[in-house]
Amino acid sequence: MIKVLFFGPIAAASGARELSIAHSPGMTLGHLKNMLAAAHPEAMRLAVMLAVNGEHARDLAMPLSDNSEVAFMAKFSGG
Amino acid sequence: MQASVRIQTEDFSLDEEIAALKGSSKRMGGIGTFLGCARDFSEGREVEQISFDAYGSMALSEMQKLRSDAIAKFDLLDARIVHRIGTVRGGDNIVLIAAGAEHRVAALEACRWMIDELKQRVPIWKKETTPLGDDWVTPHP
Repeated sequence: MIKVLFFGPIAAASGARELSIAHSPGMTLGHLKNMLAAAHPEAMRLAVMLAVNGEHARDLAMPLSDNSEVAFMAKFSGG
Repeated sequence: MQASVRIQTEDFSLDEEIAALKGSSKRMGGIGTFLGCARDFSEGREVEQISFDAYGSMALSEMQKLRSDAIAKFDLLDARIVHRIGTVRGGDNIVLIAAGAEHRVAALEACRWMIDELKQRVPIWKKETTPLGDDWVTPHP
């Protein structure tokens, strides 16, 4: 399973902070993003930053291994 | 002594953070600080409170990297970063950045660089509660 995390404005728009998505062989970050965009279009429109296992990720072709933790994040507004 | 980089709900003491920074080296000739505070007015509206959400583990890791990067980039003797989460009200402290160097220019430039980088790199979000409702904040330049 892939653990998907939402925070702040994306959690508010989707109504969820955490989702579990079944992992499949060859799955990439882009595949996961497209799946979530179909299910949560309004929330995912805000997702301009991505992280895989706590590290910034920009390459949508990045393969995801099973049990990865993926965060889709709105633009940060801390400080 | 508390850790140099922290995310916490409780307020922090500037005196204690500066004392900890100064205590790390007697070669320190300049300390630059940035204190971010909660405003009670934003975008033409009263702000009753500000709530923070964070990807805690990543935010802490990014803040630790940010401190290390700043120490290397500006040849600092030490640096501290403390960010509050939870709920704050107008006038409350939000974030403290402190940079200590042998001379003032490095301390001041590092301080400015760290707060600018924090806003770009650290996954924290703020929501303002106003009489008209709640709004997640769009970042300011």
